Amino acid sequence: MVTAVHAVMEPLSPSSAAEKPTPRLAAAQPAAAAPAKPGAPAATHLIDIDNLDFFYGASQALHGINLKIEHQKVTAFIGPSGCGKSTLLRCFNRMNDLIEGTRVARGTIKIHGVDIYQPDVDVIELRKRVGMVFQKSNPFPKSIYENITYGLRLQGRNKKSELDEIVERSLRGAALWDEVKDRLDQSGLGLSGGQQQRLCIARAIAVEPEVILMDEPCSALDPVATAKVEELIQELRTRYSIVIVTHNMQQAARVSDRTAFFYLGKLIEYADTRDIFTNPANPQTEAYVSGRFG
Amino acid sequence: MNLENSAHLFRAKPNAARRAERGIFWLFRLATYVVLLSGAAVFANIIFKGAGTVFKTEAPFINTTFLTAAPESLYVFEWQGQKREMGDHAFRAFKQQHPEAANVKAESFVYSAGGIFPCIVGTVLLVLGSMAIALSLGVCAAIYLNEYARDGAFIRFVRLAILNLAGVPSIVFGLFGFGMFVIFFGWNVSLLAGWFTLAFMVLPVVITASEESLKAVPKGFREGSLALGATKWQTIRKNVLPYALPGILTSSILGIARVAGETAPIMFTAAYVVRDKMPWEVEKFSDFFLQGVMALPYHIYVVSSKIPQNEYTERVQYGTAFVFLVIVAVIAMASILLRNRLRNRYKW
Amino acid sequence: MSQSIPTTKPDHFVIQKKKVQFLGLTVDDCIKVFFGGNAVVSIVVLALITYFLFREGAGFFGQNRQNLMVYRQAGLEYVDFIREETDNHTALTRYLSDLRLRSLNHLVQQKGLSPEAAGASLAKFDEFAGQFGEAVDPVRVILSDLTETATAIKTKFIVNEDKKEERRQLLAEGKTVEAAAVRIVPVDFNAELQPLRGTLPVFKAANHAFANTLTALLNQVPVLPAPELEQRAQRFQALTRDFLATLPLVERNLETWDHHRPVPVSQTITAFVFGRQWLTASFWQDWYGIVPLLVGSLMVSIVALALAVPLGVGAAVYVNQIASLREQKIIKPCIEFISAIPSVVLGFFGIAVLGEALRLLSQQSWLSWVPGFPFSERLNILTAGCLLALIAVPTIFTLAEDALNNVPRSFREASFALGASRLQTIIKIIVPASLSGIISAVLLGLGRVIGETMVVLLCAGNRIAIPDFTNGLAVVVEPVHTMTGIIAQEMGEVVRGSIHYRALFVVGLVLFLVSLGINFMAQKIVRRYRISIG
Repeated sequence: MVTAVHAVMEPLSPSSAAEKPTPRLAAAQPAAAAPAKPGAPAATHLIDIDNLDFFYGASQALHGINLKIEHQKVTAFIGPSGCGKSTLLRCFNRMNDLIEGTRVARGTIKIHGVDIYQPDVDVIELRKRVGMVFQKSNPFPKSIYENITYGLRLQGRNKKSELDEIVERSLRGAALWDEVKDRLDQSGLGLSGGQQQRLCIARAIAVEPEVILMDEPCSALDPVATAKVEELIQELRTRYSIVIVTHNMQQAARVSDRTAFFYLGKLIEYADTRDIFTNPANPQTEAYVSGRFG
Repeated sequence: MNLENSAHLFRAKPNAARRAERGIFWLFRLATYVVLLSGAAVFANIIFKGAGTVFKTEAPFINTTFLTAAPESLYVFEWQGQKREMGDHAFRAFKQQHPEAANVKAESFVYSAGGIFPCIVGTVLLVLGSMAIALSLGVCAAIYLNEYARDGAFIRFVRLAILNLAGVPSIVFGLFGFGMFVIFFGWNVSLLAGWFTLAFMVLPVVITASEESLKAVPKGFREGSLALGATKWQTIRKNVLPYALPGILTSSILGIARVAGETAPIMFTAAYVVRDKMPWEVEKFSDFFLQGVMALPYHIYVVSSKIPQNEYTERVQYGTAFVFLVIVAVIAMASILLRNRLRNRYKW
Repeated sequence: MSQSIPTTKPDHFVIQKKKVQFLGLTVDDCIKVFFGGNAVVSIVVLALITYFLFREGAGFFGQNRQNLMVYRQAGLEYVDFIREETDNHTALTRYLSDLRLRSLNHLVQQKGLSPEAAGASLAKFDEFAGQFGEAVDPVRVILSDLTETATAIKTKFIVNEDKKEERRQLLAEGKTVEAAAVRIVPVDFNAELQPLRGTLPVFKAANHAFANTLTALLNQVPVLPAPELEQRAQRFQALTRDFLATLPLVERNLETWDHHRPVPVSQTITAFVFGRQWLTASFWQDWYGIVPLLVGSLMVSIVALALAVPLGVGAAVYVNQIASLREQKIIKPCIEFISAIPSVVLGFFGIAVLGEALRLLSQQSWLSWVPGFPFSERLNILTAGCLLALIAVPTIFTLAEDALNNVPRSFREASFALGASRLQTIIKIIVPASLSGIISAVLLGLGRVIGETMVVLLCAGNRIAIPDFTNGLAVVVEPVHTMTGIIAQEMGEVVRGSIHYRALFVVGLVLFLVSLGINFMAQKIVRRYRISIG
């Protein structure tokens, strides 16, 4: 069953959203990690996490994380609930600042070599460059058009022609244009769950971030909608670096180039996705990916 | 055991316990309806008796004099074998017309003729001013508490203060307003003093209502906005306040009902027993704020405690109570209905 | 695939803060501070309330000390010793006349005598009562003389104080000549009190004669026609003996009385807190004791809660647990709506309708078993209590209903699953689980009631006296005055800065502290309740 779904998703990855391939178009299974393979030039690290300790009040959520996330790759974080993967993700754009009592006790996170937890960092600027898509789709109760342009207007970009262009580009980028182009002035809340999530992605890419963080973007979606979002992620990987937290190991296997497995706040293993799923180095990883716990 | 018997096993059997339960449930129901009936009795009494003053049987069916004139004394006297009732002005005119009436013996009842227009105006002015102050202070405070504040000793202290402020008796607010605004600031009995006194009294209501509405805006709106690189203030202004505002305003209507209905805080800060001039008849602009006004609740207090009860005074007493009750009730009803509707409508 | 990998940090990745600052704060910080400032207003207001109540009220204790000091120095206290004696005697004569009325009733109703005959047969008793009553007359004469003397001294003193004040004002205005012209003769209390104290031997003689007369009379108490009445006569004799025993005490008090004895500071506080009289603008002596007002407030609140708690909690249980969904949807807004009735309208309703209605009801013969019925004062504790109950019910209902609502559904379901009936579930599971919420609802209802002004001002009867508790529950039909009522009634009439004015602020302060205390308790109970559920 698992492999079947796997196969369904597979061929979507390289193709564009416009020309939807029929699901049953067969493809070779090992292609899963194929896109990651040719690139893999070392030392183009985008995010460099060094020995990170993170606390919620008194309880430690992350223990000494060392991780280098590469440029224009899809990196997946997997692990059982409460393992700290979402926490780490939310460190990258400092969304954790919104939660009371959280703090980075030790270590650094550098993006392009800039330590984002330095006091002179403008969180607002950071978040413009590190976009985020949330677990629960959260379109604003405004029109689709206003949803997309929200971030741009914040930056004072109000020129109608420019906004129109970006809206179209973003919606096309999020593979949503054809579905909503006739009702841009309708509420974003009127869309279906999967469309809402893609709207949120479109909203995120409208401000042209470098990194898009996705926090279990498909956990609230049905399989068809999930397939569309995954397809979109494959699409986006050519232009953005993507970090995705997922509960769904097949999803990680399908969409990501690199996978990090977390357990109890520790990074257990970080490797090419294919290696994690076919040849894990750590027995805990193997136990998890083979479904023995989690 | 045969089939028929077993079918009866679960059948409800009347027994003592069941009867007791019924009886006790009826007691609870009785308590509820006693409350509702007493409330209804008060309403009915005032509506029925007051309607006689406010409405008329012939067109335009509304006693416009009562709603648009100032209070005057009522004179009752016998004239050529007939009982006559006249307001102050009419009585004087009558005496001029009939010089022989100069010495006619008339019973007088203060405030029992004319209308209550200045009181209505005064109450409206008091409500508008105090709600403007309370809303601006209260909404800002709620924004701070709900959006900015992080849990700590200071915030707990603020919340404690708000809770306690809500429990302070209205007469104590009156004393406070008297001591601070009337005497210390030297505003005397004035609109301004009344505004601030009422605003502070209703502040906890506004803060609580605003916070509730802000809380109802989902977290996702804030996170989504912040993740797009909005500042906190941009997020609040563009993505939180617009959705909380209807709720804030509706819940605050309840505050209006409270402000309009209270007598004790304005007794020594803003209300005059009687005042001939209308509030807009002032020489300087600043005098507008430093003048006392007549107010409906205070007028009711005056006419129900300072003048005797009889058939002549009853009209103005019930009429005033009627107008006041209807105003407050309409506000309160609007608030309750709107709130319930809002709760149903906004589900994100 | 990944064509354009930037190998170095791109130029556009600038996330350092731009230094737009104002007083060391960024714009966002400024906004935050602005909103925070508004939140602080609530604390500031609370502090200001406390401050201004203290500011205006604090002077009271000093002024009251002065007031008490004058009471002593001008000899008013001296005279009041004697007054107390005559008052006690008056109480005894009142007992006698009550006894006569009972005897007359007995003779007419039980023995079937005509009223005239009965009166005639009591002639001996009347003679006795007359002698008993007249015995005090010599003492009374002395008392009235002394009253005049003491009043004169006090007046002199007050006039003097006024002149001093006048001079002070003149000096403050720089009018030294006029100030010097203000003649002030300092009151020499020693000299002034001489005539007062000089009467002591006369009083002693009169008192002795008084005592002797009473003792002699005690042996002549006439025989009364029934054992029950005879018992009362015995009681009268005992009371008289007690009274006689106090007479030497009065003399000793007068002898040892010393107008130099200072009034301790503590007494100014105890005189307020335990003072049983609130007497203002009297010709003799003003008293500012909060007890009658406090008792009035409490009595009214107790009656209101006695009605409102069963009704409010009952209605909450009914709506939350028993009523159908449709009934709920109608009843809840209706009860909330009741809370919108302005209290002054309720007060008016009490004056116009309820007071009279209750009085008429109390005069129905089939209700005569109710304690206190029938009554003649239409404005009393009961009238005010009924209306206050209507004010408290919505508060109690709403909060209690919330508390019931907060009981997890699973409790109820578990109870049903174990075969409990609805009533059993309500009594054994739902109510206990929400009990602390209900209690705090009741407390907040109490706070609402005790702070309510207009209803009690209009409907409680406004008689400043501690109600008579000797009649048991009948106390609820007596008129009282309350703390809120007295402020509302007298604040408009007092002179700013006078002792009376300050006393009202102190009453306000007490009210404020009481309401804070009630609020605090309610919160504490609620907090405990949260922990027990969590």
